[in-house]
Amino acid sequence: MGQYIVRRLLWVAFVLLLIVVITFLIFFVMPPTDPAVIFAGKQPTPELIAEVKRQFGLDRALPVQIVLFVKRVFLGDQYGWPGLGLSFNTRSALKPIILSRLLVTIQLALGAALVWVLLGIPIGILSALKPRSIFDRLAMGFALVGVSAPVFFLGPLFLYIFWFRFGLGGLGSGYYSIGQYGLGTWFTHFIGPWTVLALLYAAFYARMTRANLIETMAQDYIRTARAKGLSERRVVLKHGLRASLTPLVTMFGLDLGGLLGGAFITETVFNLKGIGAYAIKAVFSGDLYAIVDVTLIAGFFITFANLVVDIVYAFLDPRVRYS
Amino acid sequence: MVTRRTARFLALVSIVAVLATACGGGGGTKATATSSGGVTKGGTYRTAVEDFGFTGAFDPTGEYLGNAWGLYSDLLLRTLVTYKHIAGIPGDEIVPDIAASMPEVSADGLTYTFHLKKGVMFGPPLDREVTSADIEYAFERIATKSLAAQYGFYYEGTIEGLTTHGGPPKPISGIETPDDYTIIFHLTQPTGDLLYRLAMPATAPMPKEVAGCFLKAGDYGRYVVSSGPYMLNGEDQLDTSSCDTLKPISGFDPDKFMVFVRNPNYDASTDSPEVRANYVDGVVMTIDTNTADIFNKIQSGDLDGTSSATTMPPKAILQQYLTDPALKNNLHVDSGDRTWYITMNLLTPPFDDIHVRKAVNYVIDKQAIQKAWGGPVNGDIATSVEPPTVMPLTADYDPYPSANHAGDVTAAQNEMKQSKYDTNNDGKCDGSVCNNIIMVNRNYGAWLDMAPVIQDSLAEIGINITVRNLETGTAYTTIDTVDNLIPIASNAGWGKDYADPYTFAVLFDSSGISCTGAINYSNVGMSESQAKECGDSVLAAWNAVTNNGADPLPSVDDKAKECYALPLGDQRTQCWADFDKNIMENVVPWAPYLYATAPFVTADSVTKYEYDQFSGAISFCHIAVNNGLDPTQVPVG
Repeated sequence: MGQYIVRRLLWVAFVLLLIVVITFLIFFVMPPTDPAVIFAGKQPTPELIAEVKRQFGLDRALPVQIVLFVKRVFLGDQYGWPGLGLSFNTRSALKPIILSRLLVTIQLALGAALVWVLLGIPIGILSALKPRSIFDRLAMGFALVGVSAPVFFLGPLFLYIFWFRFGLGGLGSGYYSIGQYGLGTWFTHFIGPWTVLALLYAAFYARMTRANLIETMAQDYIRTARAKGLSERRVVLKHGLRASLTPLVTMFGLDLGGLLGGAFITETVFNLKGIGAYAIKAVFSGDLYAIVDVTLIAGFFITFANLVVDIVYAFLDPRVRYS
Repeated sequence: MVTRRTARFLALVSIVAVLATACGGGGGTKATATSSGGVTKGGTYRTAVEDFGFTGAFDPTGEYLGNAWGLYSDLLLRTLVTYKHIAGIPGDEIVPDIAASMPEVSADGLTYTFHLKKGVMFGPPLDREVTSADIEYAFERIATKSLAAQYGFYYEGTIEGLTTHGGPPKPISGIETPDDYTIIFHLTQPTGDLLYRLAMPATAPMPKEVAGCFLKAGDYGRYVVSSGPYMLNGEDQLDTSSCDTLKPISGFDPDKFMVFVRNPNYDASTDSPEVRANYVDGVVMTIDTNTADIFNKIQSGDLDGTSSATTMPPKAILQQYLTDPALKNNLHVDSGDRTWYITMNLLTPPFDDIHVRKAVNYVIDKQAIQKAWGGPVNGDIATSVEPPTVMPLTADYDPYPSANHAGDVTAAQNEMKQSKYDTNNDGKCDGSVCNNIIMVNRNYGAWLDMAPVIQDSLAEIGINITVRNLETGTAYTTIDTVDNLIPIASNAGWGKDYADPYTFAVLFDSSGISCTGAINYSNVGMSESQAKECGDSVLAAWNAVTNNGADPLPSVDDKAKECYALPLGDQRTQCWADFDKNIMENVVPWAPYLYATAPFVTADSVTKYEYDQFSGAISFCHIAVNNGLDPTQVPVG
């Protein structure tokens, strides 16, 4: 197992390196937009463009820029470790900006994950246990709506109804940290983004849970468990659910990993200064190192989540063993 | 595992929190507000933008964004001369600021002497008087290459000895400071609009003890020391004992907010209420990535209004403000001092023929374009290069008239008949050069809506265009890279830097042609050497349209120089008006279609609205609110 984890960690590092190279190629080589021209103002003179290029390190050959970037990430820069460089836009260190935004994204992602797990899985279980009942049909209707309604529709709708029409000021947009504004303000301002973001996932999880559990409950070992006289509650929770939830773990890990890389639309709609909203801002303003940093972080969460999921799998399903 | 009791507790906490916050409203503690004549003193102007969008990280030396200039000029920085920060042509009038009076100008127009007011102070913690040396230091920074002064060209070559150099800031031979209250500028050539240039924020006094610690572009942006009526909240906490002890001012997070509070060292007797009335106690500007949310917050009273002309109300919200009597008075539309135009490349057929370019001007249906933009609230029909607030003399000038500005197809076809590209004299462009012509456009909003109008209009004279819709930055870099040889583009717009037509004339000067980052997109006056520099394809195009140099491209460089040297006044204005007419009739590189407006929305809390014609943003120093909020207590989440 130890060897497996080390091998996978090396693989994670390789994937991240690949991500850096590809991102560099996409944003530094492919676009017709020269970032130095953008940051040289409205009437850029050739001398000014050259100076901006020099200050941003864009006057060096691309492979050199990539190597320096990777070196900086691993060894750190003047702003500490990991070295995330400087924002072209604000000329300030990217590390504190990204860390503070990551913190917001983590709160959003974990809160939403909690909501969708607490909502999606119980709905799925109840639906599976009473298939084709009224509850099941209602639950699957909810799932259909949740899957179909995008965040950019639900988010503004939520804000319009609860904050703008009902005047529930606390349910508005923006990020209000606990330290500065208190638990209540923090919590209420997250209700909207958590709910809206979780609805989509809860719908998926409800459908997945229902389908998996129905399939599992038809297995022979479930019949055996019942024949042994175990209570229905024990059959469902101990034997049925454990087996049927294993695929959900994979999904959960990947979903959470993806969200930690930034919930772009939710953050934008609810004006949360998270990593996703920052990625959008960086792309539109041509803030190249910020783009690469955010992509790298998103890539890290997704690849790392994959690794964690694979490891957790081994514990959940005794048939899975890594060597 | 969550127990039932814990779940109940969490539910209770949530309900209490929801109720507490819901009842709390907009937040912020109330401070005392005083009222005189309907205008309330005190309170905080709360506003939001989608992004600050600073081009130089808010370092005044490099910053080239109108909104930032408004913040500097209204709130933070005083300059030798300034504006009244009001709307319209009076808002473009230059008045003394730090200078005690207008300068003494030598007979040859080459020497300007300013005497400074006493008692103009830097904000805390510096607590010292502004001297002529601080102003001279601002110019030293402009000349310092590493600080990337984005509009340094207004001073380089104009002030004697001011040449961009690679070393640290050093004295400039053409600027004398014989004593703390006198500064003398020696110019290399008469520069009629020098006073406008001296009203630009880059020339504001810079305290060397702080600004001198930051010699890379943008770095000073988070440490700007105030000389104006307001300062960034927390400026007084700067530890100026050494460069190493300086920490960014807490009231400015480039990623989130700016909080301005009153500068305790500001002495109103050194200023004029006509220039800065300073009604509010502060300004809080936050970033909100959701445009609709900004306008909802204005209607709900959580914000007091917009502040940037780029924060445009979405169509549905704009409609509300245009039609709802309760909201109508909260929509303010001023002149944006910007022209939106179609640019045609003199190097590419069929636009190398002046008759084709004139025909384009005749045929464009500007009325339909204005409708596509959402009506007059978003722009007035443009008929010449400069907006009327910059050039009042050409306000009624329209060299290509048509009924209701809907385009005159007959006049356009008559013009086309004179072109070499109309071989059969039917008023339409013939041959392959007239088909599949690439037109660069922006990929959103009004630009997408107006592209079909342009396509239909040009089809009337046989020009068939293929539209390439690109993201704003990409669109600009596509047309400002000369060897792309883009024939026609509708993405471009140009706003004034200051209210002199010169800031538009530069767009037609051959010095505005550089192989990348050009601003003279039409290549007016391109020389052979410039064509060579930009590559073989450009040189080939230049040779083809100029008959190997025998018929050079039209140039307006000399005419611009003539006007440039004249002092501000009627003669200069007339010179630029003639320049504008020459461009429109004899060069015709553009088909201007709209003069931008600057629509702003405010809340009922605003008791006095004002627009700053200089910056094109809300006039922070003349606006008044009655919310009584303390700027340091306004939530910035």
